[in-house]
Amino acid sequence: MEEQDEEYVDKHDIIIRNYRTSDYQATLEILRQLHNTYDIGLNEQRWKESSGLRQFKPNLKRITLIAEYKPNGEVVGMGMLEAVKNNLGQYIGYLDNWATKREYIGKRVGEILAKRAIYILKSWGCESVRINIGYNADKKLINVIGKVGFNPILIVLEKKITEED
Amino acid sequence: MFLLKSNYYVIWYPLVDLNNSKHSEEKHIEEVVIVYVLYFDEARGHIPLLIYPDDKYKDDKKYMRPVKYHSIWFLSSDDLSALDHIDLEYKGFTYFGKKIFTKSKRKKRRAGLEEETPETIVIIVSLPNDIEIFGDGLIRKLTEEIQEKYDEQLYKIIECEIAKEQVIKTEKIKSCIQEGTIIKEELRSLISKLINDYFASVVKQKDSTSIKQQKAISFLSLIGHDVSHIISGVSDFSFSNIKLFDPSKSESDKGELTLKVPLSISSIHMIEDSKEIEIIVENKTDKEFKNVRVKITHVKEFFEKEIMDQFIDIWFPREELLFISPILPQINEYLFFIIDDKNKDRLLSKRIDINLLT
Repeated sequence: MEEQDEEYVDKHDIIIRNYRTSDYQATLEILRQLHNTYDIGLNEQRWKESSGLRQFKPNLKRITLIAEYKPNGEVVGMGMLEAVKNNLGQYIGYLDNWATKREYIGKRVGEILAKRAIYILKSWGCESVRINIGYNADKKLINVIGKVGFNPILIVLEKKITEED
Repeated sequence: MFLLKSNYYVIWYPLVDLNNSKHSEEKHIEEVVIVYVLYFDEARGHIPLLIYPDDKYKDDKKYMRPVKYHSIWFLSSDDLSALDHIDLEYKGFTYFGKKIFTKSKRKKRRAGLEEETPETIVIIVSLPNDIEIFGDGLIRKLTEEIQEKYDEQLYKIIECEIAKEQVIKTEKIKSCIQEGTIIKEELRSLISKLINDYFASVVKQKDSTSIKQQKAISFLSLIGHDVSHIISGVSDFSFSNIKLFDPSKSESDKGELTLKVPLSISSIHMIEDSKEIEIIVENKTDKEFKNVRVKITHVKEFFEKEIMDQFIDIWFPREELLFISPILPQINEYLFFIIDDKNKDRLLSKRIDINLLT
């Protein structure tokens, strides 16, 4: 157990804050890593400096949270959360593109981020929170997410729209 | 050329007359500012009581059209508590409208209305768009004074106006007309004095923290008035003792104030494929803002319509926020503004012309 604790980062060393335009390069790098592993459909032209800013749009609220490692000021994780009003007038929270820098995977950075995200979504009036993970995702990953209270309820099928459609 | 004249200063101001496309000769402030005092007549609708400087505009549709259909008429008493006044922009002029209710002892001509039913009075100030910065203060000043001094007399002017239309004028009617006319002329003199005092004081005040004063000086400079004595600091002979902000000096520099805009628009651009506009606004201060409302509206047929209304509970220091709003077909002009939800202060406002966006 002690050995495992040493692998985790001290939660006091992680600052969770809103995205700033100065985080652009660091977040782009993390998204590239995520895209290379899971093909999240990253289009670098569309991920602009302003894309991660706190966003306000009718029926939509969006924030990109940044996990900063206090000792060296490095951006070590990121996650986007949004609240969308559904047809029944309820706000549903979504966690998208949650990623941790390769060197910090397994050190509970994602868990610290997720806890803060749920707190924020609750304050926005969301009744539930959903997270999309790859269909072929590692069972271990599903278990890790499950520990924070997420249970599988939906299977999302996607079709890529091509020019022939 | 128009001549804005007050007790203290003179401004040359190029303005195109609403009726006449040619630049007119020297004109005085009386012809730049027009004040309309109107009331709601239960039998005839929106009727002018007094027009400053001259009642001649009463029958001129070009002047009266924006006044009679101004949105202020349709504002309920509940909305009045939330809004100080309503601005309408029309053909190069801004019409600042405010509605008040005054005491009445006039016999009404519609069933269900008592003699004591208050009179609905609408005061509208029209100013050329270039000097609309003065409108907020002026309409407030005029309304306060009129309500304070004429709350119990305005209905007499209304009675006088109605009486004038009587074919047979009895002694009682004549006396009513006479009394109303005297009050009306007193009211006209009050408006004249208030306008002159207001325009004189607006650049005379020594309040260099006021953005309005700064804009007034900028305006004078823009139209060619010599303001070099203000910049050089030799202000003994100046029409105003206001000091210009010097952005090159830091806040800590003694005796100088820096221009502090709390919120500033970093960028505006249109997303072509989704027909939306993206507006990025930064909190330039080191303090957080709480309970702020961000709205985007447009004007259609004299009415202001809202297309976005977002509430921000906390806006962190130096944080940039991104607002995305749909745009409507055929509508090119929008008004973006940010207000303090608590005291209704306008923190930022910006007119957005879609055609000018890249």
